[in-house]
Amino acid sequence: MKRERYTYLSTVTFALKSLLSGLKVTLTEFFTPKVTEQYPENRKTLKISERHRARLTMPHDENGANRCIACGLCQNACPNGSISIVTKSVTDEETGKSKKVLVSYEYDLGCCMFCQLCVNACPKNAIEFCNDFENAVYDRKKLVQKLNR
Amino acid sequence: MNITFIQPEKFREQMEYLRRERGMDFLRELVGMDWGEEGIGAVYMLENSETKENVQVATRSTNREAPAIPTVSDIWKIAEMYEREAFDFFGIIFTGHPDLRRLFLRNDWVGYPLRKDYDESEELNPVRMFSENVENDCTHTLAPDGTLQRNPDTLFDNNEYIINIGPQHPATHGVLRFRLSLEGEVIKKTDVHCGYIHRGVEKISERLTYPQILALTDRLDYLSAHQNRHALCMCIENAMDVEVTERTQYIRTIMDELQRIDSHLLFISCAAMDLGALTTFIYGFRDREKILDIFEEVTGGRLIQNYNVIGGVQADITATFAEKVKAFCKYIPKKIKEYNDVFTNNIITRKRMVGVGVLGRDEAISFGCTGGTGRASGWACDVRKRHPYALYDKVDFKEVIYQNGDSFSRYLVRIDEIMESVRIIEQLIDNIPEGDYKVKTKPVIRIPEGSYHATVEGSRGEFGVFIESRGEKSPYRIKFRPMGLPLVACMGTLLNGNKIADLMTIGATLDYVIPDIDR
Amino acid sequence: MYDFSIITTAIDQFLRSLMPSALATFLECVLIAVCVLVAYVLLAIVMIFMERKVCAAFQCRLGPMRVGFWGLLQVFADVFKMIIKEIIDFKRTDNLLYNLAPFLVVLSSVLTFSCLPFANGIEVLDFNVGLFFIMATSSFGVLGIMLAGWSSNNKFSMIGAMRSGAQMVSYELSIGLSMLTLVALSGTLQLSEIVARQADMWFIFKGHLPALTAFIIYLIAGNAETNRGPFDLPEAESELTAGYHTEYSGMGFGFFYVAEFMNLFIVSGIAATIFLGGWMPLHVPGLDAFNATMDYIPGPVWFFGKTFFVIWLLMWIKWTFPRLRIDQVITLEWKYLMPIGLVNLLIMTLCVVMGWTF
Repeated sequence: MKRERYTYLSTVTFALKSLLSGLKVTLTEFFTPKVTEQYPENRKTLKISERHRARLTMPHDENGANRCIACGLCQNACPNGSISIVTKSVTDEETGKSKKVLVSYEYDLGCCMFCQLCVNACPKNAIEFCNDFENAVYDRKKLVQKLNR
Repeated sequence: MNITFIQPEKFREQMEYLRRERGMDFLRELVGMDWGEEGIGAVYMLENSETKENVQVATRSTNREAPAIPTVSDIWKIAEMYEREAFDFFGIIFTGHPDLRRLFLRNDWVGYPLRKDYDESEELNPVRMFSENVENDCTHTLAPDGTLQRNPDTLFDNNEYIINIGPQHPATHGVLRFRLSLEGEVIKKTDVHCGYIHRGVEKISERLTYPQILALTDRLDYLSAHQNRHALCMCIENAMDVEVTERTQYIRTIMDELQRIDSHLLFISCAAMDLGALTTFIYGFRDREKILDIFEEVTGGRLIQNYNVIGGVQADITATFAEKVKAFCKYIPKKIKEYNDVFTNNIITRKRMVGVGVLGRDEAISFGCTGGTGRASGWACDVRKRHPYALYDKVDFKEVIYQNGDSFSRYLVRIDEIMESVRIIEQLIDNIPEGDYKVKTKPVIRIPEGSYHATVEGSRGEFGVFIESRGEKSPYRIKFRPMGLPLVACMGTLLNGNKIADLMTIGATLDYVIPDIDR
Repeated sequence: MYDFSIITTAIDQFLRSLMPSALATFLECVLIAVCVLVAYVLLAIVMIFMERKVCAAFQCRLGPMRVGFWGLLQVFADVFKMIIKEIIDFKRTDNLLYNLAPFLVVLSSVLTFSCLPFANGIEVLDFNVGLFFIMATSSFGVLGIMLAGWSSNNKFSMIGAMRSGAQMVSYELSIGLSMLTLVALSGTLQLSEIVARQADMWFIFKGHLPALTAFIIYLIAGNAETNRGPFDLPEAESELTAGYHTEYSGMGFGFFYVAEFMNLFIVSGIAATIFLGGWMPLHVPGLDAFNATMDYIPGPVWFFGKTFFVIWLLMWIKWTFPRLRIDQVITLEWKYLMPIGLVNLLIMTLCVVMGWTF
């Protein structure tokens, strides 16, 4: 009987103690600086990692030329078929040999899963991922992008 | 990997022998397989939980119309779920199974998709715009004349008070569905429905190249993305005899442990949320963000990281990586103390968790509940200790084991494992050797003919990859061991007799991730 | 001390000089009803905003920041959204009860709200059994919740309503007991009189230990009575999605939502009134200069200050603790709060009889 009363009271004291220690934690957090990031107001200070994969791009130099040789390796590497390359054959005037030239490099952002296999497959480093992540559009068709200029 | 084939007639007898005489009490995996001409059947991977001895056996039936194999669901409890999965994908009829329904696909699905002669035409399986009717239980028995008999049975009576938890419910952590039969607040019977996020990863993988399959593993258990990919890379590397560099091993181990902390932080947060402590939930997410920032800097992804590749990792670690990880390792113990103060030691949490949903050791092994759940029940099931890989045999860490098997132990295991992971990282982070982060592999990756298997300790259990190769660019059959399916399988046992609120406690502390169950 | 009855009497006399007495009374009733309802809605909006900001602060967040400066207009936007939302009718609901339930809940809380003494002379209902009346009106809100759960024809709602019924009926006892403890100290049930008797010192100081215990029990029971965390089982969102109001949309849901917040205000208001002196400024016996300075702060400031302090306390509790299980809720009441409350009442009676109060 005595023992039981002891457990009853100790339960009450343990309960109060544990509840108070919890309340102490939340009270300290009440006054600590908040961690909310106010996107999009903080766009200027926002740091996105260099390696972040947000969209596939094809860098062009100042003459508007890209390094793509239209070999189609990226197209083959893509598990989702989000890259489609249109090529044409051009005969080189000097050598007389015919070679494939890129006409249009179409990339469907909508079905890309950012696995980086295309970038890994490219022998000329002609494509790369950029970290510009604001890609939302209202129309699905706008997600199909032509990467070459 | 050696697989012993057994005739279906002798199969029962052999399996009983393995269980009784050789102590094979843990059914690691059951892989349904279509060998083509040679028949349809399953590979069983067994382990002795004491001696860590492994045995792989297989059985197959040449009758393609109705391949019948005797069930082992009465020997290993988890086999009940695994056999339902094999039935679903291969149409293997496990005679004597108590409840042979489809597990992932709809009841009205036509054909068995992982068979090699499966008809994929859309006319057979169009997108159906009506809900399936819930099929009753059924078993299959072998009649004396050799034909299979289907014995329908009803799961719930008409006058039972049945409520639906899920597929859209805050407590199921995704799209899982429970049907509960209630008596007041007390749960009388439970029926689990899976497959709401089934994407057929294993089927898709059969026509992808190995590097392409890697892109899918992050999407199984998204909270063990690193470990999943680690397992598949390891399996392929072993098969191809590729030796990865020491630097790669260090990076992989550190990333695995960071991922584990990430997952366990999410576990604590979500357990708190399920119990109604939303503030702890936010605290957990606040601290998890720090790991995600490290991930983003190094791998370029926060949830889906795509970091491990065959032969190494995608990119070398950044210059600030070590510094940031060390800062995090200093930061997290303080926060763990905060969680303990506000949530773990709280009397309400204790009352809600202690003694709720007790899973005994033998049951945990029989259900194959690996990971934190198994260790909370006193089963030393850590793959990092059982079958060390990467650098786990070189670092010093303790395997956290609790004996009670209740929800509170399952919760504490995770808290302690965060501290152990921090210890592992601290041992490695200063000693990352110089070297290549990736060895060169052939441009086209082919695996020599044979069966291969690799396991890692994922965030919530043993994650295994089984590859059957015919020497092609794509696997003949690939099977991922789901960490969550055993956890969901034991829900019924744990729930019955508890209250609705305990469903949330038990579900939260078992810590399953649905995309990993459904694949 | 400011006496607001001067204003009310002036309005009364002005009206009576213009029209017959019966018409004036009627007009006053309408005027007061409008005032009460407007105050009710405005306070609800303030409370919702406060809940969001306080909760955010406890969770290391900022809370709503977009609409208006510091998110001040967020709640107005939400109320506007709630008003224009479609009210969905369901086929197999019990239509009459389904539509009646939100009104019952709001009615109960408006009635209780109008009993609160906001300041000296600003009391809508003030009669000799005021506290008893508050108990009566606040407790029939559970009827609305039960009806809502039953008539929605939804199993989750039903379970939520049953939990709510068991919980609210149980915790009514503890609320009653802790109020009774204070009634033993004050010797009256009339709210204005209760406040007046705290002129020299607030009851929580006057009644020292038993009053403090009663205050804590009242806070816990009051929290349970308003279905707020850690006692929010009737609408436990991780278990029953939304509990008894799952099937309500638009203002049907809005009524439940507003009533829940206002019940929190009422519980805190009563706590402020009977424990912390209501609109009575802080008076310390012997320090006359201090007391006189305190009297310069008007009554409503004191009342709302105290009430919002208690609300903040309750929010602090809500945003710290996990939820209890239904059997634990009932155990807490019947095995802990009620026996402690009874003993406390005994001690308080003893203190009053022996004159052991300040």
